Amino acid sequence: MNKSFSKNSLHACLRVSGPSRELWIASLGCLIGSTLLILAIQLYQDATTFLHESEGPKNYFTLNKKVEGGALVNLGKNEQSFTPEELEKIKSLKGVKRIGGFTRNQFPLSLYIWPSGKVGLGAAAKTDLFFESIPDEFLDFIPKEWHWDENSSLIPIMVPKFYLDLWNFGLAPSRIEYPALSTQAATGMPIQLFIGKRRETILEGRFVAFSKRINSVLVPANFLQWANTQFGQPEANDFVFLWKNGSIEGPPITRSSIPGLQGEPDFKDWEISPLENPAERIPAPQAILNKKKASGPSRIILEIAENPSIEFLDHIKEKGYEINREFPEQDLVKKAIHVVFLGMIGIGALLSFLSIATFAASFRLVVSRASEQAKNLLLLGFSQAQVSQVFFDRFLRIFLIILSLSFFASYASKVFLINQARFLDPSLSVDSGINLNTLIFLATYGILYLVVNKRVIEKSVHDLMK
Amino acid sequence: MLIELKNVAPKPIPEEMIEHSEVWGTDLKIEPNSFTLISAHSGKGKSTLFHLLYGIRQDYTGEIIIDGQNIHKKNTDDWTKSRGDKIALLFQELKLFPLLTAQENINLIPQVNSHSPSIEEMADRLGMKDFLTQKVANLSYGQRQRIALIRVLRKPFQLLLLDEPFSHLDQENEERACSLIEEVARTNKATFLLTSLGQNPPLSFDRILSL
Repeated sequence: MNKSFSKNSLHACLRVSGPSRELWIASLGCLIGSTLLILAIQLYQDATTFLHESEGPKNYFTLNKKVEGGALVNLGKNEQSFTPEELEKIKSLKGVKRIGGFTRNQFPLSLYIWPSGKVGLGAAAKTDLFFESIPDEFLDFIPKEWHWDENSSLIPIMVPKFYLDLWNFGLAPSRIEYPALSTQAATGMPIQLFIGKRRETILEGRFVAFSKRINSVLVPANFLQWANTQFGQPEANDFVFLWKNGSIEGPPITRSSIPGLQGEPDFKDWEISPLENPAERIPAPQAILNKKKASGPSRIILEIAENPSIEFLDHIKEKGYEINREFPEQDLVKKAIHVVFLGMIGIGALLSFLSIATFAASFRLVVSRASEQAKNLLLLGFSQAQVSQVFFDRFLRIFLIILSLSFFASYASKVFLINQARFLDPSLSVDSGINLNTLIFLATYGILYLVVNKRVIEKSVHDLMK
Repeated sequence: MLIELKNVAPKPIPEEMIEHSEVWGTDLKIEPNSFTLISAHSGKGKSTLFHLLYGIRQDYTGEIIIDGQNIHKKNTDDWTKSRGDKIALLFQELKLFPLLTAQENINLIPQVNSHSPSIEEMADRLGMKDFLTQKVANLSYGQRQRIALIRVLRKPFQLLLLDEPFSHLDQENEERACSLIEEVARTNKATFLLTSLGQNPPLSFDRILSL
């Protein structure tokens, strides 16, 4: 015994016109719902990744003391550094996981940046600059070139992304010799580092990454430690007034230059005082013996728990520390994104659910309209599965077309949106494709949709013989 | 196939119909490979009997046992299987698909009986060869009856049930059809039941029952 029927005849004898209006509504609902769902899920992932990359570990930020007053007042002041007690207090605040200090260069540093890509070719951008370092564990990401040892020929430098923006949108348009630079071109620029007051040492560096988060010029911690040991002038900033015969003599001098004056005839009668408090005069010979107390870091980086505690925020406010982030705004952006995407997912899911229901109702009607023919087939000995399959194939064709259209509509919408976003920010690095997670969702969604409708059709066919 | 009817009566049925029937309300055994004519006027339950044997209706009292199995205990899958390769029924209303051609209709069965003659041969013997490519909607009722007969004879069966198959056939076509039916039924070693409105078709029946 063998089969004689063709699938086409089976389809042909069950071909009845479906409820076209309902099927169109269901198809449109399914198309819009599926597109919204795919797009929302994909864009949500993109936005999350983008925010994550842009902001790095969300619970990291920097803290420093507020600088107040004019230049003269601040000239003689030591760094606005944190004392060990202050650090201990911050560390003990609720929600603070760990803290790390910024290390600064203790030597004069100036840079020649060669935007032409070659040292000596064209004009160099010249600037005095500073370096800082933080423990690598606090970096939002570690570039692969982020490595230095004494044999390295290049010093990797990480600068804030907005430095590049300042160059491109501030400096370059006003100076014909400075071209605008892409991130890639900027990382290729040779940089000469001149160390020392008289630029005794020249090293070469490169920008290896542009941080959107850490607002400083960073180099690897081991390089800065080495350079501070080699070229450091730890007390370069420690200025004092020199008093001779009860009056201030000349401009402020550095504390480190005092030992050099010991050979002067009246040295033992001279006095010195801190700039900020001239009344605290002490004999100059005693100043040589008094070592300046080692100070803590002037800027620290912190990791906190999910949200800063009220206790923590109060402490910052009370002490007048400056923080590099505004938490409420951050939260607001994230909350807004969540609400927007949840809304999209909600509307998409609702439309999809309604379209499933409409499809189910429409196909119950299709089966009902073909009930006589379907019954005849069952009476001829065809199984319910064979008859259901005919209706299901019809649904499958419609659904696969809709799902493909949804996929392409989502893809096209995403490409369009990303292009619009790139128009606003050319450096935006978001993949314009549909990722694996979304495809897995799409497959799961498709299977769920098919299973529900298959069940509905099977039940409708089963009920024919009741 | 051995068919046993033990005090079977469809619901509802008037008491007097049971009293005068040789089928309803009796213990009846129809032997395997036998040919039985069930003769009765309209409304006596000829189609009902076939519908019971084919599992379309379960509203009856008594027991129907086919090959030792009480058919009341068969589930949907059992019936699908039986209708596919054991029992063939020619419905009085034919159950053809008018928008398909005669040939497509004949082919629209789950399985083909390899012992039955080819479509062309059967169509030729019944004078339907030239109508195979025509849509059933364009055929007369007598022609449709012959197409439905070819379709039922192409199915594999051990029990063949024909419900008034010659109602719209002339004598010549009836004789041709009877010859074909007898040949195919004998080849299949089938139990064969045929209903008629009182006429005696030219077939060698083993038994004639009055409903």
